Amino acid sequence: MRLKRYIRVLGIFVRASISAQLEYRVNFAVNLFGSLLLAGGTLLGITILYSDGTPLGGWSYRESIVVVGLFTLVQGYIGAFLYPNLNKIGEEVRQGTMDFNLLKPVDAQFLISSRNINVFRLTDALVGAGLVIWAASGLENASSIGALLGLCLIVTALTIVYAVWFMLSMTAFWFVKVGNVTELFNGFFRAGAFPVSALPGWVRLVFTFLIPVAFVTTVPAEAIIGRWNAGSVLGSGVAAVLLLGVSRWFWTYAISKYTSASS
Amino acid sequence: MRARLNKTWVLFSVWFAHMSAYRAEIVIWMLSGAIPLIMMAVWIGKARAAGGHTGGFNEQQFAAYFLAAWITQQLIVAWVAWELDYQIRQGHLSPKLLRPLDPMWEFFAGHYSERLVRLPFMLLIVFAGLLIVPGTRLTPDIWHVLLYTLSVTVAFFTRFLIAYCIGILAFWFDQATAIDDFYFVAAAFLTGAFAPLEFYPPALRAFIEWTPFPYLVYYPVRVLTGEAPGPEIARVFGVQLLWAAGFYALRSALWRRGLARYGAVGA
Repeated sequence: MRLKRYIRVLGIFVRASISAQLEYRVNFAVNLFGSLLLAGGTLLGITILYSDGTPLGGWSYRESIVVVGLFTLVQGYIGAFLYPNLNKIGEEVRQGTMDFNLLKPVDAQFLISSRNINVFRLTDALVGAGLVIWAASGLENASSIGALLGLCLIVTALTIVYAVWFMLSMTAFWFVKVGNVTELFNGFFRAGAFPVSALPGWVRLVFTFLIPVAFVTTVPAEAIIGRWNAGSVLGSGVAAVLLLGVSRWFWTYAISKYTSASS
Repeated sequence: MRARLNKTWVLFSVWFAHMSAYRAEIVIWMLSGAIPLIMMAVWIGKARAAGGHTGGFNEQQFAAYFLAAWITQQLIVAWVAWELDYQIRQGHLSPKLLRPLDPMWEFFAGHYSERLVRLPFMLLIVFAGLLIVPGTRLTPDIWHVLLYTLSVTVAFFTRFLIAYCIGILAFWFDQATAIDDFYFVAAAFLTGAFAPLEFYPPALRAFIEWTPFPYLVYYPVRVLTGEAPGPEIARVFGVQLLWAAGFYALRSALWRRGLARYGAVGA
């Protein structure tokens, strides 16, 4: 019953976002061009890294393109769902309009995470998904089981990204002036365009455990190309649940400290 | 002359004070531009897998190249396209037009003094990088540092003018910042921040050489690391100055036409 209500509210948000943005139809062409440029650039980068004919961290050229596709897909997810919502938290805390979210009869975290959807940025997700399907279709070890597992791992990956992004943007409750803190994620996430085994020694450990970039692109890609191992699949699930739990706790802690703008 | 010097000094010191207040934000922006540092790790990993070196670069040479590329990228950052776009659309440009000074110089002072705020943290990262990859020599001597300072200053001015030209487009349509985003993606792969241009396919490299991109990062880096011989340094300065002059002329032409269209919102 409650779930049904949340789905209905989400439907209203999606419809409102779409109808608000259809006014700016040129944006679709602009964003599509941007997505193709990003994917093209990343592909060019991979091609340069493979130009001497040796594999990168044990991954073949086609296998790496699966990673590039997932990287582009996650960029689209961030641009379409996370950025237009979570990056408003700072402004709302500063102006005190966060109050209105806390007063509504739905969960406030749900509300501030789903109000706006930038539909045009989904072009990144489309281009990314296209790359993954194209690259995987040419690989022998790709199977339907792997694809299914890959899909589950993409869901855990997106959960991880949401939790990290949400926690970063919640620092706005304390540091009102630092409005660009999520750019930190953008900077380090660039490493997600490559299989994590391409990085040397301890850098790989940093991008697996300290900054969980490996779970976002490499682990789902391993499943899709038929090379998964139980350890990282389990690790991905545990990381997602753990980070989501911590971010929820952090949220309740943050709003308990929130005193509105003028009080 | 003296009054003019005095004005310049006031302009820069005011902007330095302003930027110092935002030092935490600036450090975050610095870390968000981490592409050269990530690529350093990837290329060192590749050199190790290939038994010590690949394409004529060993670990230390990759470290020197990408640390220099990171510094260069930090020093040429320009956000004036976004600022100009915002001020044109919101009408904040109007009061600036009344002053007896082209607004460009105020934006320029803001960008330039921000470099000073970046400097301490930049040295910290470079020092850490040199410790992490032992045996790395960033630059052969002080002369290369001085030549690099000149080269990177021209590179910064060029990038600033490119961003300014893009920002001026906001006089005509409301997607100017999207064009700056396109520039950003193209620059990430064409300036040499992603890989030394030696690794690019020859046809693509020949094309890139005719664009301003390699003169923003790749060539200044070669000057700093001492890879560029004397004649190359002279050629690089010549081409850099040509690009800077070209974009200066373009920005003046665009500015005159754009200003004629300016509707001064909210005035």
